[in-house]
Order: sequence, then C-alpha cells, then structure tokens
Amino acid sequence: MKKLLAACAAIVVLSLLADSARAGNSFDYCLLCHGANGNGNYGIRAPKISGMETWYLARQLGNFASGARGTPADDAAGHEMGPVGVRLERENIVDDAVRFIASLEPRRPSATVKGDVARGRKLYGACTACHGTKGEGNATLQAPALAARSDWYLVTQLHNYQRGLRGADERDAYGAQMRAVAATLPDDQAVNDVVAFINSL
Amino acid sequence: MNRRVSRRDFLHLAGTLGGSTAVYRAAMGIGLLPVAARAARPLLTASGKSRKVLVLGAGISGLTAAYELSKRGYDVQVLEASFRAGGRNMTVRHGSRIDETGYPQVCNFDDDPDLYFNCGPARIPGHHVNLLGYCKELEVELEPFINDNRNAWVQDDAMFGGKPIRAREYLSDTRGFVAELMAKSINKEAISGPMTPDDWDRLREYLKQFGELDPQFRYIGTSRAGLARHDYTAPEVLKAPLSPSELLKSKFMLIMSFGETDDQAAMMMEPVGGMDRVVAGFMRKIGPLVQLESQVQRIRVLPQGVEVTYRRDGQYVTTKADYVLNCIPMHLLAGIEHNFPAEYVAGFTAIPRGKLFKIGFQMKERFWEREGIYGGISWTLQDIQQIWYPAHGIHRKKGVVLGAYTFDAVAGEKFARLPPAERFKLAIAQGAKIHPDYASHVESGVSIAWHQMNHMLGCAAQWDDALFKQWFAKLQAPVGNHYLIGDQVSYHPGWQEGAIASAHHAIADIDARVAAAGTQVVRS
Repeated sequence: MKKLLAACAAIVVLSLLADSARAGNSFDYCLLCHGANGNGNYGIRAPKISGMETWYLARQLGNFASGARGTPADDAAGHEMGPVGVRLERENIVDDAVRFIASLEPRRPSATVKGDVARGRKLYGACTACHGTKGEGNATLQAPALAARSDWYLVTQLHNYQRGLRGADERDAYGAQMRAVAATLPDDQAVNDVVAFINSL
Repeated sequence: MNRRVSRRDFLHLAGTLGGSTAVYRAAMGIGLLPVAARAARPLLTASGKSRKVLVLGAGISGLTAAYELSKRGYDVQVLEASFRAGGRNMTVRHGSRIDETGYPQVCNFDDDPDLYFNCGPARIPGHHVNLLGYCKELEVELEPFINDNRNAWVQDDAMFGGKPIRAREYLSDTRGFVAELMAKSINKEAISGPMTPDDWDRLREYLKQFGELDPQFRYIGTSRAGLARHDYTAPEVLKAPLSPSELLKSKFMLIMSFGETDDQAAMMMEPVGGMDRVVAGFMRKIGPLVQLESQVQRIRVLPQGVEVTYRRDGQYVTTKADYVLNCIPMHLLAGIEHNFPAEYVAGFTAIPRGKLFKIGFQMKERFWEREGIYGGISWTLQDIQQIWYPAHGIHRKKGVVLGAYTFDAVAGEKFARLPPAERFKLAIAQGAKIHPDYASHVESGVSIAWHQMNHMLGCAAQWDDALFKQWFAKLQAPVGNHYLIGDQVSYHPGWQEGAIASAHHAIADIDARVAAAGTQVVRS
C-alpha cells in the first residue's frame, strides 16, 4: 500500500513538472501582457515587443533577470517584468523567448503622443548618432530602432532615464549612455516633442 | 499611470459605506433596515437550437452564461486561456498550481480537506440570491463564514505602542466614551423643533444602552469589552476602560464598521471545502463545453455573428459563432486584435485594474483558538491589513490562516515585487505584532498577486462614480453580437453576484433578440 501511495505521489509530481515545463515553453504568456502578436497593450502598460532586435531583447531580458532593470521602487511596470526575466533565465529559455518574439507579426502602432514635430526634429538631432536619422537603430552601437514602437512607452522610458529608474545601475552601461542623453531634454514637453517626431519617421 | 486607491482612500470609503454610525442614528432618531432586493434569474423563452455561442473566459459569468444558454439548446463552447476554469474564483490546496507570470508556485499544504485557501472570493452574504440559487441548484454545500469576531485583535502602531487589543475593547470603550460625552453635552434647550420631553428621555436611554452607561450616565466599563478574568467561581471583574485619547489615535475607526456593511454583515457563508466548489458545480453540468488553454488573440465582429481566433498548443485556430459573451478582463482585451469601435475600446483602458494581494499560511497548530478566537478577522494598519482565522475544522490540529489581504495598489505592489519567500517573511514579521510567536507556527505559504496572475493581470475593475457615468452603459451594450460580461461590467465588481448579474443581463438580451428573430437562423 505504501509503495502504491509513493508511486501515486511520484506521478503527481511528474505531471506537475510536465505542466510547469509546458507553461514555460509556451511563450503565449508573452502575449498575455504584450498583446496579440506582441504589438503592445496600453491597458497594462506593456509595450510592443514584436519587431524588436533580437540582441536588444536578449540584453533587456538579461537586465530584468539580473535586476539591473525593473527594481527601483517607483518602477511599477518594471516590477511586473522583472520576475519574468528571472524566470526565463532560471529555466534557461531566454533564447527561445527571443526566437518566439522574432516570429511575431509586427504592426505599426497608432500614434497616441501629441507634440511639436518641428521642435522634436531639432531635439532628435542628439539621437541620430546612435539611433539613426530614420530611427532605424544601429546594431554595432547596440542602439535599438525607435520608429514604429509604442510611442507612450518611449515617453515612459525617457522619463525613467531622467528619473534614474533606468540606466542608473552600473551593470547597464548602454542605459547609462541613454540616461545622459535623456537628461539633455529640458522638460516634459521636449520629451513629447521628440517622440512626436519619431512618430513621423 | 493607473489611478491608485491609497489605503487612506479605501479606509475613508469603507468608513463612508459602513458609517451611518449608531451615534448619528441615535441623534437623528432613525434606524432603517434596507430590504434585500430579490433578483430573479431571467426566464429565457427562445430556443437556442442551431445557434452557436462562444463564451470567452470560464470565470463565474462565463460559466453562468454557458450553463443557462446550453439549457435552452444553444450550441455553446467556452474558451478559457488558463489550465483551469473559475477565473478569480480560485481555491488552492495540496498540489495546486499558482500560475503567477514571474513567480509560479505550487501549494505545499498537507493533503487534507480543511487545508485550503480561497485566493479570490471567500464569502457570500445572504442577499446574493443568484449565487446562492446556483449553489442550491448545483448542490454546493454551504457553511457559516465568520467575518466579524469581537475576540479577534486590532493592532495599530499608532495606539498603545503597537500592542494589540481585542476588537471588543476598541468598539465597546469608544462607544462608551462617545455615549457618555454625548449624554453629558446634549443641551435640551439647544435642540429646537419636534423633540418632546419624551423624545429627550428616549434619546438619553438609547445613549445609555448604546454605550452601556451607569445610572449617572458615566461609562465605567462594560462586559462587552470582555471580563478581566473568566473565573466563574469568583465575582465578575470588568476590564478598566482603555484611554479614549489613545483609542482615537488609530485610523482603525475608518474600518471598524467593515463587518456591518451591506455585503459583509453576518450571516455570511462559504462553500464547504473551498469557494471553487461553485466552479466544480458548474463544471459537473457543462465541463465538456469548456476548452482550456485557449488564449484569444483576435475578435472580429461580423455583420452577422462574431469571428474569434485563439491560440492552442502554439497554433492559431479561428472559429465563428452567432453570439459571443466575453468575460476576458478589459485590460487584457485592450491588447488583442479586434475591430471594435474606438469609443468601446477606449473604455478598456479607462478603468484601472485592481491590485489586490493575498497570502495564505498553513499553521501547524491552531494557536488562535487558544486565544479564544474561532473564525473572524484581526485587523492591523500594517501592510498585511488582515489576518483571517478559519471557522471550519475547529479544534483540529492544523489550519490555514489568511496572512495578508491588501486592498490598495501600493501595498499590493510592495508585496508583489518580492519573491514569494520574501513576501512570507514580510507578512510573518507584521503578523508577529498580533501573535508574538506567529513565525514558529508557519509551515508553508501561498501568495496571490492578482495583477501578476497569468490570464488575469488584475483583480476587480476599479470603477468610481465618474467612470460608471462615462463608460458603463457603453461597455454593457453589445457591439453587434458581441457582449462584454463579468463582474467588470456590473455595479458590483469584485463579487460573484456582480458577475452573475452581468451574465443574466446579456443572456436576457440575446434571448429577446433570438425570440424576435423567430425561427430565422442568424448565423453567418
């Protein structure tokens, strides 16, 4: 009888493991937050991830996993992503996740940020060296594309850089560069203006 | 940013909701008892034969709609994204999976019928007639749930140096103080109008009874606050009243009437064995109609009917139906592909999602029973806010205690961003201010951060009056043959009764449309 119980318990444990492996290997839960085809969901402040460069995705997932990103007390959205990065790394499936995201069909998101495009064009001058004149990004410099991203997310991240919620951790060297540039935008309107210009690219 | 409901806001709200205080009633000479409205289940008259209905989400509203429509002959399929049915009606016990996006957990409670934890809804008041009706019909056995226990503790660092006092002490001593103050300070001549000398005497008598004052209208203590000792071979000794100035330092006054509100007052009930017995009851009837692990990705409203695309086993599947009833949380719907009108979609992101958080601890000994606490809630002004004691399994060896239940987003986020083990540590440290040897009893824990739960990412929708006015009618109305349902589309979010009401509202509308269409098949 005891043996039978032990065998039953083993089966329960194994089936639980199988279940959790299945949950881990099915990346549908990326879509849970980031929306159908990873095109973003403003409802829970999850940005568009489809069409992001694979090297950029891998680096940011690594930052979330290490706590270099998503840990400051005021970064509520980062707190939700942080543990997911930890889990992907723990289960050694970061690469699989990146491959899954690369398989999604990106759509151009609708513009939600209003600003002065002409002023934004001037301000964007500081961005071109890394992110390109068309916001196309630069793999050599590890600068992601900015065009056709969730515009509200660009605004949030510029504010996060300015407030030290991102790019302040010494392990995030690229973030530190970005933080320095974001600090040159004089006010909230400048942030909106530059993003409004990016929307026009 | 989400609109955050601070604890202070909540406490104020709770105080307002529960707060037609006895003193106010005494002064005004009123005390009306509201009568529960008996809402009837809609009587569906049309036949659903050869009409297909898709229900998106196997929460309580979806299960209700599927159950009722299938009884009328509709061809019903329920698509549920999770591995389990029930939505926020979720009970965990030995071996249960807790599917939190970043921190998946398995419940390690002992395998025992009394050792379970209701992660979502946990209590049913007597006027939730629709839910109770289903409990009866689905043979879900109910037992009393204890919400309000005068022997439980009240703890606040702001009073008595953080030392807990019994709820009965707080309530009796503050009432005694207020009654004495009022009896002494009411000036008969100053009250003009219809108050007769008899009214005056009656008011004074009421105050005496309200606070249990002595014949000279002084409050010198009352057995309501508990006796100093329960040695029944010796004369009774009252506890000395606690210092009113100390008692009034605590914001507990804002939640002291919690157990008197419409939905929280005795007599409350819970299903024997866990709230998910309600889900099991529905599943016994319509289990084969429910398809799990099917995550909706796209909804297209067609000129006639609705097309839905979902992911299952990594593949996209597209299906069509005459009607769709959709209880997917609005904040998730905002992220799927659709062809809804813009003013409908704008509502999805306008209503903030709740961030309620709960912890359950298996305790190796029911130590609270040694403190004279059998069921009920201890309140604290710390983050954990509440400790609940089970009213079932009394005097058994072990029990599952609720170790935290936060209502406001700030406290919810504070817990949610910690790994489970750290959450437990924080909750245990705070619980130890109420029960000093708390930590030594904890055997294992579970934590539910509703805004990080897979396929949920939020607790009850956080409506307020302005949002109701702006959005409710728009979101409740169908778009073509697509109906949004769930407690999120009710004036009672956060309660299963609200979920059922929304389902009833939608299926009554469908019934009327099908009846009007006669025998004509509207399927595209």
